Amino acid sequence: MICYKCQSVLGEGDHCQVCGEYVGLYKKVVSLSNVYYNDGLEKASVRNLSGAVISLQQSIMLYKNNIAARNLLGLVYYEMGEVVAALTQWVISKNLETENNPADEFMNELRMSPTRLDALSQNMKKYNVALKYCRDGSLDVAVIQLKKVLSSNPRFLAAHQLLALLYMNSGSYSKAEKELNKALAIDNGNTLTRRYLAETSKMLSPGSVDDSLAPAPDRQEDVREYVSGNETIIEPVASRQRGTGVSILGISIGILLGLFTALFLILPQRIEKINLEANKKIAEFSEEAGSRSAQLLDKDHEIEGLNADIEKLQAEIDSYEGTDETVESMSQLLAAGRAYITDPADFENIGAHLDKVNVSEEESDSPDEQTAFYRALLEVCGVGLGDYYYRSGYEALENQEYDKAIADLARSVKYDSTNTAALYFLGSSYYESGELDEARKIYDQVMNEFPDTRYANNAETRIAEINNLGD
Amino acid sequence: MINFEEELSNFKPSLEIEEAEDLIKNQNLDDMSDILIRLMKEAENGGNQRGRT
Repeated sequence: MICYKCQSVLGEGDHCQVCGEYVGLYKKVVSLSNVYYNDGLEKASVRNLSGAVISLQQSIMLYKNNIAARNLLGLVYYEMGEVVAALTQWVISKNLETENNPADEFMNELRMSPTRLDALSQNMKKYNVALKYCRDGSLDVAVIQLKKVLSSNPRFLAAHQLLALLYMNSGSYSKAEKELNKALAIDNGNTLTRRYLAETSKMLSPGSVDDSLAPAPDRQEDVREYVSGNETIIEPVASRQRGTGVSILGISIGILLGLFTALFLILPQRIEKINLEANKKIAEFSEEAGSRSAQLLDKDHEIEGLNADIEKLQAEIDSYEGTDETVESMSQLLAAGRAYITDPADFENIGAHLDKVNVSEEESDSPDEQTAFYRALLEVCGVGLGDYYYRSGYEALENQEYDKAIADLARSVKYDSTNTAALYFLGSSYYESGELDEARKIYDQVMNEFPDTRYANNAETRIAEINNLGD
Repeated sequence: MINFEEELSNFKPSLEIEEAEDLIKNQNLDDMSDILIRLMKEAENGGNQRGRT
């Protein structure tokens, strides 16, 4: 024993022989610590680890420098599977006593085997995860996890106890008893283990048969009874033995029946439905294709007719002699026809040729071929030409290009005499360009040909303005 | 009869290696002999002060 003041070795008396400090009580405290250490050692030697822990904790609480007690406490913790608690005691021991300390050896054994330390660390994590599963209600998963923990570290006392508790909760008292016996082999002084064992013994008392035991010889061979929770269950042995094979056979038959049902009942209906839908779609497409074909046929006939007219007229042209103007007019007419056949919407091109055609405007019962062809061409593209020139003329009017506006709008009226707006804006173009007489004529025409329209009203207003200007 | 929930609440999570450092740092190493020495010193100082007055 060392004096706490001068660190010298103490003798028999209550005072330090070197510094004279009173050490009576101090010596008693240290002695008591040793008593507890001896008690802990004795308990540990008979595997009463829980008791040893209590005694050794008392020992170091009285005297923290009791290195032997601290190291032994670490060993006991390690034996119970509490590695971190063990390491804590050894580290503190090493710090209190740096030289010739057995704690070095214990820690080196762990340090030398990093995989062992890592496995222990993983085990503790798995145990904590299993505990969490228990609290969350996932008891089956917790059982699996605890079995893994115990397969890796069979000396983990708390894991044995928790697994036993889970077995007891599910009624598997014999399995619980096995786990508790293993826990008892690690620590025979643990009160929790003993309490659980008492409970399992009570549940497995004579008069009930455990779920894992074979039937007693004096019972019937074909029945077995066991206790599950608060109930006693009696069931024939044979059904369980035959159960697995019958189940597999039943499942196989069920699968086959299902396949046959699908193949002969459900599949044909599905196929028929799909076929009906496909046929319906084919019919729709055929109908549409038919109508398109009819339209194309009509267009083909129209083109054939026009081509025939062109040929006839070409022949007529060839028979003409010395009439340049007529030939030129006919050429332009034919060119307009060709332009229409090439692209019926190419009004610019068609109009450019038709403008140069010189035909009689007079109505006749028997018009010549040129006039007839001209009129026929106008019937198919007159409205389009009128609209084309109307838009061009209107744009020119807005841009104050009155000459162009007059020319285009005049063409529009020529090719489509039903276009009220074209006629009116032709008048407006003359009005804006200062040609009031021409404007008045056109406005009169609007009022006469399209009375009761807003253009007629506007034209009347314009005529009044022109008259006022004249005055 | 054992109450599962009650028994489960008595199980505490196991300490992990990562927690060892904090555990060691936070250990209170005061023992009975330290308290005794402190008491004796206080008693001695108290006696000295009375002696001076």
